[in-house]
Amino acid sequence: MKELEEIKDCLIEMKNLSSLMVDLAFSSVMYDSEDIADEVYILEEKMDELTLKVKKLALRAAKYEEDPEKLLSIIEMANINEQISDSAYEISDLVLRDVEPHPVIRKIMHDVDEEIGRVKVNKGSILIGNPLKQLKLPTKVGVRLIAIKRGCRYIYNPSKDETIEEGDILIAVGSGIDRLRELSNEKGEEGELIKEEE
Amino acid sequence: MEEFEEFEYQPKSVKELFIEMKNIVELMVDLAYTSILFGDKEIAEEVLDLEERMDLLNYHLMTHAVLAARNPKEAEQITSVLQMANSIEDISNAAGDLAKMVLEGIALHPVITEAIMESEEVIAKITVTQDSILVGKTLGDLKLASNTGVWIIAVKRGKRWIFAPDKNFKIKPDDVLIGRGTHTSVEHLKEIARGIIRVVGDERA
Repeated sequence: MKELEEIKDCLIEMKNLSSLMVDLAFSSVMYDSEDIADEVYILEEKMDELTLKVKKLALRAAKYEEDPEKLLSIIEMANINEQISDSAYEISDLVLRDVEPHPVIRKIMHDVDEEIGRVKVNKGSILIGNPLKQLKLPTKVGVRLIAIKRGCRYIYNPSKDETIEEGDILIAVGSGIDRLRELSNEKGEEGELIKEEE
Repeated sequence: MEEFEEFEYQPKSVKELFIEMKNIVELMVDLAYTSILFGDKEIAEEVLDLEERMDLLNYHLMTHAVLAARNPKEAEQITSVLQMANSIEDISNAAGDLAKMVLEGIALHPVITEAIMESEEVIAKITVTQDSILVGKTLGDLKLASNTGVWIIAVKRGKRWIFAPDKNFKIKPDDVLIGRGTHTSVEHLKEIARGIIRVVGDERA
């Protein structure tokens, strides 16, 4: 059924977006970044649209379903994801308010298991020009990219075919942020390349 | 469960409380999706236990925060701590609601599990065979998150569940690891667990 396919796509997107939003919300607070907080706001609106869309689709699908009550779980699922995204928005809203957050908040973010980092890719980095599927950052470096900032545009959840360019800012989560900083040649502008592992 | 009760009498610092809350909420969301994916009530119960603990942590945090303000400026700053804590708790409630879908036996539409399996980060059961190089090593040795990109959320050993295993957790044959990661990284770890790939990451493990 067409509706179910669409519902699935929406749910996938909602799950991806809600976890992305939580990551971005925490990172907006950590970096006191209004940019990222604004993006969370935009994503929140997108999430609202998706929620409504899923609900409408579920109602339409009910006509054809043998057991329409099962569709209730879909609506519930959409609601829960929306709830998560609302909370993410409330977190990033801390940055958008004029009140300066308590210093303890930023201190905390440095101590959690997973580190969120913003890493600039400089000239000479071996990351440049390689598609993500080739770099295998999660396996080789221990970070996953939640977004790439290119100029003033964000690429959320970059796909495997996305290629890293010079000047990109990588927003990454994981335990290998320091390693990523080395690979992106964040410190040196030139030369000193780090050999790529096989 | 036992260690939760102990906590009540030993409040920690605001920072420690916060870190625990953030780590717990992430674990809860992962476990909640896992419980839905596998229709597993035991995992769902664990999510609810964690939710209770979260309430307690939030309560302690609020008490601390209220005591910490010495002047209006600090009080204003502290509202940010409270807001963040409340938002984290809201997320944990959402995770609890997900788990309740499993426990209350709401008939789940198959499209839900399909969506969870096709999202970017997947959750998978990874069974460790006797021949795998993982056997006998601790999670601290293996550094699976950096070396394979898979986070171990929980482990099932026989009938027992171990949630959020720490660095000293030693993998035994037949352990079932519940891992979160991208499709490729999870498949990679599965091969290691089956004993097909004999190295973890770039170096010999």
